[in-house]
Amino acid sequence: MMPHHTKKTANMAFSDEVTSRHGGETLMACYQCGTCASSCPVARLDSSFNPREIIKLSLLGEKEEVVSGNAIWLCCSCFNCQERCPQNVEIADLIYTLRNIAIEAGHSPNIYSDFASALIAEGRIVSITKFVEKKREEYGLPPLKPVGLDALNKILSATGFTKPEKTEESQ
Amino acid sequence: MKSYAIFLGCTIPARQPNYELSARKTLEKLGVDLVDLDDLTCCCPPPIQSINLESSQAIAAYNICLAEEAGLDIVALCNGCFESLAMVNAALKKDKKLKAEINEILAKVGKEFKGTIEVKHFLQVLMDDIGIEKIKENVVKPLSNLKVAPFYGCHSLRPSKLLQLDDPERPQIFENLLEALGAESVEYRNKLKCCGGLLKGISDDTALSLARDKLVNTTKAGADCISTLCPFCFVALDIGQIQVKSKFNEVYDMPILHYSELIALALGVDPEELALRSHKVKTDKIIEKIA
Amino acid sequence: MEQPKVGVFLSDCGKQLSEILDFDALTSFVKAVPNVTLIARGSEFWRGKGLQTIVDAIKSGKINRVVVAESLTKISDVNIVQAVEDAGLNSYLVEVIDLKDHCAWPHRATPKEATEKAKAMLLSAIERAKLLEPIEKLEFPALKSALVIGGGIAGMQTAVDLADLGFEVNLIEKAPFLGGLAARAGRFFPTDDCAICIQSPSSDVKTITHTSRKCVYRSGFSEIPNLNILTNSRVVAVEGVPGNYKVTIEKKPRYVDADKCVVCDKCAEVCPVEAPDEYNANLENRKAIYMNVPAVHPQVYVIDEDACKFHDCAKCVEVCPTNAIDLDQKTEQVTLNVGSIVVATGFREFDSSAIKEYHYDDYPDVITNLELARMIDGFGPTGGAIIRPSDGKPAKKIVFVQCAGSRDRRYNPYCSSICCMISLKNASLIKEANPDAEVSICYIDIRTTGREHEYYYERARDMGIKFVKGRPTEIYNDEEKGKLIVDVEDALLKRFLDLEADLVVLATAMVPAEGTEELAEILGLDLEADGFFKEYNAKLRPTETKQRGIFLCGGATFPKDAPTSSLHAHSAAMKATKFLTSGKIVKDQRTAVINDEYCGDCEFCPVTCPYGAISLEPTTEDHFVARVNDLLCEGCGVCVGTCPMNAIELRHSRPNQMRAQMNALMSVNGTSKPLVLAFCCQECGHTAVDSSGMAKMQYPANVRIIKVPCAGIIQVNQILEAFKAGAQGVMVVGCKTDGCHYEVGSDKAEKKMDLAKVLLKEYGIEPERLEMFKMVYIEGDQFAEAAKMMTERVTKLGQLKLMDGS
Repeated sequence: MMPHHTKKTANMAFSDEVTSRHGGETLMACYQCGTCASSCPVARLDSSFNPREIIKLSLLGEKEEVVSGNAIWLCCSCFNCQERCPQNVEIADLIYTLRNIAIEAGHSPNIYSDFASALIAEGRIVSITKFVEKKREEYGLPPLKPVGLDALNKILSATGFTKPEKTEESQ
Repeated sequence: MKSYAIFLGCTIPARQPNYELSARKTLEKLGVDLVDLDDLTCCCPPPIQSINLESSQAIAAYNICLAEEAGLDIVALCNGCFESLAMVNAALKKDKKLKAEINEILAKVGKEFKGTIEVKHFLQVLMDDIGIEKIKENVVKPLSNLKVAPFYGCHSLRPSKLLQLDDPERPQIFENLLEALGAESVEYRNKLKCCGGLLKGISDDTALSLARDKLVNTTKAGADCISTLCPFCFVALDIGQIQVKSKFNEVYDMPILHYSELIALALGVDPEELALRSHKVKTDKIIEKIA
Repeated sequence: MEQPKVGVFLSDCGKQLSEILDFDALTSFVKAVPNVTLIARGSEFWRGKGLQTIVDAIKSGKINRVVVAESLTKISDVNIVQAVEDAGLNSYLVEVIDLKDHCAWPHRATPKEATEKAKAMLLSAIERAKLLEPIEKLEFPALKSALVIGGGIAGMQTAVDLADLGFEVNLIEKAPFLGGLAARAGRFFPTDDCAICIQSPSSDVKTITHTSRKCVYRSGFSEIPNLNILTNSRVVAVEGVPGNYKVTIEKKPRYVDADKCVVCDKCAEVCPVEAPDEYNANLENRKAIYMNVPAVHPQVYVIDEDACKFHDCAKCVEVCPTNAIDLDQKTEQVTLNVGSIVVATGFREFDSSAIKEYHYDDYPDVITNLELARMIDGFGPTGGAIIRPSDGKPAKKIVFVQCAGSRDRRYNPYCSSICCMISLKNASLIKEANPDAEVSICYIDIRTTGREHEYYYERARDMGIKFVKGRPTEIYNDEEKGKLIVDVEDALLKRFLDLEADLVVLATAMVPAEGTEELAEILGLDLEADGFFKEYNAKLRPTETKQRGIFLCGGATFPKDAPTSSLHAHSAAMKATKFLTSGKIVKDQRTAVINDEYCGDCEFCPVTCPYGAISLEPTTEDHFVARVNDLLCEGCGVCVGTCPMNAIELRHSRPNQMRAQMNALMSVNGTSKPLVLAFCCQECGHTAVDSSGMAKMQYPANVRIIKVPCAGIIQVNQILEAFKAGAQGVMVVGCKTDGCHYEVGSDKAEKKMDLAKVLLKEYGIEPERLEMFKMVYIEGDQFAEAAKMMTERVTKLGQLKLMDGS
């Protein structure tokens, strides 16, 4: 039988914060083997992004560095790391969680503000303009059905969705 | 005749009429009925998951509920939509606790996730519902002489445990479907590597290097064109070639075609009806090769 | 049976106890209990004069039941029961209770209440003693013979030990040759010398020094007269009981007569058929008739029946100088009767084809450590040259990848323990023979835990072997460069390396040998979650299994190195010897017994019994009745608790005995608190009570203990009986989930208590009055806390009102 693990809080406030959130549950399993780093298409091109390093910093509790830094926004969400991780750490999901925390703290690239605005206003992240509707007609494509905007916004509200604000300096 | 709820997402209906047209026409020809449901919303892909993962999961679940209520499985064209919806569908079916949490949220909009439908990728509908044999039978313009480099993108395959489309290291479904059209599928270095599409606007240099990697390797392998499954991949490689020319001063002239466009052409759909002019890299030489 | 005459012996432990407990009051109390014919008080009764008092009382005929209130009961009662038996009274007619650790010391702050509890404890012991029955000693024959399954170094060593001690030993091996992994590995750490080496048998009297080691092929072990070796053979069925197993073996034909073969190799010379030589990592071909382990038993060729053309060719038959080849040999079934079985089936390398990104399946230059060992071996297919299997060219750049499939939740989550050492050994041997070779090792952690192991790591660094801390994500074949590329991040440098390699060696996980699941099924053994054979308790009962006569050793329980395997093998031989040496198995009949009338033919008990001791006997065409095998029954009582018909009783822990105890314990309160009854299992629960008392932890005297063999014996109706007897609260204390001494009892009890709580609610009893606790001996403090907690809880709940108005 596998041994039990008794979870003891060891004053690891940031780790606890991450593991208690959607997507962050598997953080503690990491044993820093580096498979994720070598699987990562971005890490080879941009030395400021290294998934193993981001996890290490999170494990050490360096919340400020992780959350206000640029690195977490450089993940391309390809999931190669998550696929290859021998400890089943959900690394790509973890990046989402760290981003969620960062946005709640007011840090994010401005483009995310645009995504959120579009989503809230139209229920889509790409606007359907009159031009688009006309083109669709020309191509013989059926007109688009109405979007469930009301339901979407209710869900956003019920889940505490924070609309990221734009900041002076672009990140 | 099998019916599916078609999930178009945001990018395709707005910007990729070529994908939508070719997909609709293909499925029509092969006897699949497509239903456009009311009230669908954005699937909440990675950019939205980055803002709030829970919101995204709940909204994805909401969209699945609409299909459940209509009693229809979903077919998604865009890899991003496929992943977003299929992941949540699989996760909620497996994890009772998560399902309960999400249903608590959905209750506020009068919905309940039951786990009664499947979310399928366009390729899966072709493979599982129609099958290679039927596709072969319906091919009137075989794509013989055409060397196609299949590009799965990331989100059709990964995370494989939840998506279960194909073997994430050695997938074959795309290659098999290309060969069913009479085309030759070409192996190339870093076939499964990300195109960098989601990094546009965040880190354009990295995004462009990743796109360029594809162009270099498919050219090396002797491909006539690259076939994609995702609108983001398409844009990264199609418009990307203009940016690559500008930054690296390299011209690849590598047409990018969605699989749906290739199959539509093979099934005899008139190229004029496929909005091919929307491609930045001209597809004329491909059309000529097929004719 | 004559009327019970109970003798009660009260020990005050050198007057320690009489300072707290009122022994006069206890004596008067006991005197008034019917059937008590003798009461004695003294300092101690478990030895010396005190023990003699008991013996005299028995011999005089004054008593036929013995109740002793003594301290350190787990030690003292051994002496007492032996003396009772010697005095001519059945040793099971004794009840020993502990007034010190279970009464005086934990309740020293409330001596009056302690005395009242002592009265209840004595009454309980007396009432139980009256209902005790004599238990007979059973003898079962045990054949002085053993079967050892697996002819690797562990199996061979065990076989030699047992043969030396005079047992008939059968050593069975599924391959055509003995030697297992050792024969293929060539050299073992920590000495880099021959792997295939064992301690020579004592029967080898020609050895000058009795401590010399001998290579297996010259150790003479195969000539030991009472050692019968069967190769090319598998176990297909096992019937019978410990001490008397009937084993059916399937012996595949060798097609070569062992008595005639002179190992001249003429047959292989003329054989026209070539087949891939799996033994040699497919680095070369061999003939259909072959011998691949030159130095081990048996020295006889064998024919690969899948490759051979048999009578269509028969060239070998023509040339054999001794007519040793018989192409018409058939598979034989051999039956063996043995007393004991030792499983030494070892382990094998994990099939890394599953790790697709490493391309073990489709890149010939990606190999495993065991395959590399064949290259390193000077007698091997490459004569010691390290080459690329793809083109035969010398390999100059070699990269080792550690943990291929180990420490990986997708494949094998455990660490395979020996692979760091194997790679360090192989890397060093390569570098030693090829100083210009570039050798790198990619690792997650380097584990060098045994004696001399760290030296290997030092030496490897000294030799210039490169260490990269990083687990590669992928191995890629760069056709242009003609090299393999190992894609890895050096995590210490935070730098991406594309290591070029001619040869990539995967240090694969070690997994159970092929056929382990089937063999476990045949032998009735459990497997761990990782698929290895489960030792009964690795700490306290190594090499044993839940089958009394079946033992395990070597890599069959978990990957291990040669010294550890050897230790394990000797250990298993010793255990098997203990088991067989007297030629019989002696056991008390403290076992379960079925009441045929009540047996409902429901089949729950055979499935529940952790020891397979219950079988179903047909009574008519459609009906069965359960039967308990006294040899296999371990006396836990889990079947008793499981049976929905209450058709099973456990001797010496019968329901009527327990009922009498419950009633007695609840009949005297004497405290201002509500009575709480605690069922404590004799293994962990009861010992936790002991330890809390020994440490003088305090808890209230309204908590009364009743000892059971295993918490699993408790039936739901007994819980109701407890409340009826006057308990206001009931505790059940058992072993922890992975530590139940009877495998499943504690967990089953827990489930049953959940069920009981539902029933209690129906009866208008608050379910919180019942609680199950799991703890071990050293958690005496938890017992004290639990006792206090339950007391508080039921005090708050108030007086219980049972539906019958009481």
